[in-house]
Amino acid sequence: MEAQALQFFIACVTAAGFGIAVAAFGCGIAQGLGLKAAVEGIARNPESSGKVTVTMLIGLAMIESLCIYALVIALILIYAHPQAAAIAGLFAK
Amino acid sequence: MNIQHRLLKFVTVSNWLILAIAGAVSFLTASSGFTAGLICGGLIVTINFHLLYRTLKKALTPSHLSSHNVILAKYYVRFIVSGLIIFFLISNHYVNPIGLFVGLSVVVVSIMLATVFEFRNLFFKEAM
Repeated sequence: MEAQALQFFIACVTAAGFGIAVAAFGCGIAQGLGLKAAVEGIARNPESSGKVTVTMLIGLAMIESLCIYALVIALILIYAHPQAAAIAGLFAK
Repeated sequence: MNIQHRLLKFVTVSNWLILAIAGAVSFLTASSGFTAGLICGGLIVTINFHLLYRTLKKALTPSHLSSHNVILAKYYVRFIVSGLIIFFLISNHYVNPIGLFVGLSVVVVSIMLATVFEFRNLFFKEAM
């Protein structure tokens, strides 16, 4: 039974690892694309810098929050799984 | 004031307002762990947003462009510090994780609100 409980925690850690990896991959690509487009826009028209920066800032904040969500979920899975004690107790019986 | 600056001003002010209102409601109705999580999460994202704004403004204003190394360093320092704070809060069970999650949504909620208000203004202008 202890092996099953251990398997549950291994699954949690694996899910957390894959989750944060996928989130970082997606956010990296998204932020890179956004930044690339903004810098190209400013290079073509330097006067539009203020407008482009503000729009990009809002976009980046949205994208970054997704990555932080994934980090929080990963940390909850590893350190503060709400049902961890109950599930471990279930396997221990 | 153009739409971009109006949006930014709205988001900047509403971040603090939403955090204060959500904190007060949580203080009155939810547990202390949930309230602590909400306030910590809200503070982390709101301060992050301000720092991101300052870094980008310094980086992309043509008259005084800063070095790209400085921007990268600031970005990573900000991200690592946020990650470490969240790690300590969750791993030592100082706050309720659900409250922290709700607190981290403050900026997203205020951006959504700003978009809804802009859409509403757009439709009202077209209707008039």
